[in-house]
Amino acid sequence: MSLPFAQTALRTALSSMRASPVTSLVAVATIGLCLLLIGAFVLLVANMERLLDHFGEEIRVSVYLSEETDIEAQQQLAARARIAPGVLEVELLTREAALERFRQHQPEHATLFEGFGESPLPASLEILLAPEQRNEQGVAILVESLSGLPGIGELGYGHEWVSGYAHVVSLLYGAAVALCCVLLPATFLIVAGTIRLSLYARRDEIEIVRLIGGSRGFVASPLLLEGITCGACGGLLGLVLLYLCYRLLLPAFEGGLSLLIGTAEPVFLGIGAACGLIAAGALLGLLGATIALLQDELRS
Amino acid sequence: MPRDNVARGASDALVRLFHVSKSYLAGSFALRDINLELGRGEFALLTGPSGAGKTTLLRLIFGAERPSEGQLLVLGRNISRVGGHSVAPLRRRIGVVFQDFKLLPRHTVEQNVGIALDVMGVPAREKRARVFAMLKRVGLEARRAHHPLSLSGGEQQRLAIARALVNRPQLLLADEPTGNLDPDLSIEIMELIAAFASSGATVLVATHDHGLLRRYGRRVLRLEAGELVDDGVSGAQP
Repeated sequence: MSLPFAQTALRTALSSMRASPVTSLVAVATIGLCLLLIGAFVLLVANMERLLDHFGEEIRVSVYLSEETDIEAQQQLAARARIAPGVLEVELLTREAALERFRQHQPEHATLFEGFGESPLPASLEILLAPEQRNEQGVAILVESLSGLPGIGELGYGHEWVSGYAHVVSLLYGAAVALCCVLLPATFLIVAGTIRLSLYARRDEIEIVRLIGGSRGFVASPLLLEGITCGACGGLLGLVLLYLCYRLLLPAFEGGLSLLIGTAEPVFLGIGAACGLIAAGALLGLLGATIALLQDELRS
Repeated sequence: MPRDNVARGASDALVRLFHVSKSYLAGSFALRDINLELGRGEFALLTGPSGAGKTTLLRLIFGAERPSEGQLLVLGRNISRVGGHSVAPLRRRIGVVFQDFKLLPRHTVEQNVGIALDVMGVPAREKRARVFAMLKRVGLEARRAHHPLSLSGGEQQRLAIARALVNRPQLLLADEPTGNLDPDLSIEIMELIAAFASSGATVLVATHDHGLLRRYGRRVLRLEAGELVDDGVSGAQP
């Protein structure tokens, strides 16, 4: 597209939007609301995924050792665990150390074990996996390599809880996709309707441009630009509304939100995702305009 | 009687019609069996009563319609066969002054003329210079920021001519360019067209103004009920 061609297309698109402000505003508002809903889901899923990644960093496998293992056997098991696949770090927690840690972490329950002659808690190996192994498969490999060794008792890694949470995230992701499947076609049709109205309003003008030699691209480009501009403005509107909701409504929903993302501090969309939302609006506008032009071409 | 135009100066012709007919309803012809050639640099007037087919003939030549029968060659392209996407480049080489002007009401005078250069992709600076020169030539340079609806009939007509001429077309078609103008203004408009014709372009003007036919009718094509009944020289002044 040459510069004069682009300038003319842009000028015509803006003049067309100015000529029918209500129609253009309806398109911008529709795209804005659609992207607000989609953006809200994206924001929630992004925060939950962030928490999931955080869980991944925190994954530690606790290998409880049977009561009869003495300190020497415990150290041998710790050495054996250090060479197991995917292991980054192993900490041997003796029974006394386990009790001490319990008292530090749960001071309100510190009196629970008073009166016991010796620590009632089992000794354990606290295993931290290498970052690339902090997943279901990595844990399974470790469990398989340690299970059945003499002195190894129960293994605990909170894996079921993390898997359940990941399942909720994927359900929300699926809901966002389903929402897109419902909202996007409806938005396409509204944008296509807007561009079609613009086409009808400019029918005489378009006919004149064709008669003086305007190519199909010359005629179509202002309408496509109008769609892109409406879409990008709608995307920006959706982003602004999402940010306002995030700032104003977040305190009200903090309790419910903590069920989903725990104590993690919620974060807003990053610059990439924010630009992506605006680009999605522009793409919606472009596709809507393309549909309108194709329909018009088929009709004529 | 119509002379045998097809045999005359074939290599120089910019427009050639071979047995061209146009019908909108079966059995009812808007144009019937037209044979005609317009040579390079020729200035011809097309006349006939209302409904004779003048506008239809012009619309066929600039590709707004297709002939129902026959072959029509314009600037070396066969309009009867050319695909939809090839019509636009052809139209950029033809200037058309429409009977109803067909100006863009939301655009300024300057933009109305400039759009003929926009469709050709002329750079902005060159476009501005050419548009200004053309507006000066038709006496509208002071009105360049106005919109067409604020212009008088004569000014709108001159604007339509300016748009048709600004891209220096090889062929100019004008449909009743003096239709609603007083005699003085008609002469003024025709002088503009004649001046353009003298630069070597081919010009075909549809008119039923007998005064213009006498004054400018070097070659007069007469249509009646869709048939070319006369193709000759009127009493043109030197």
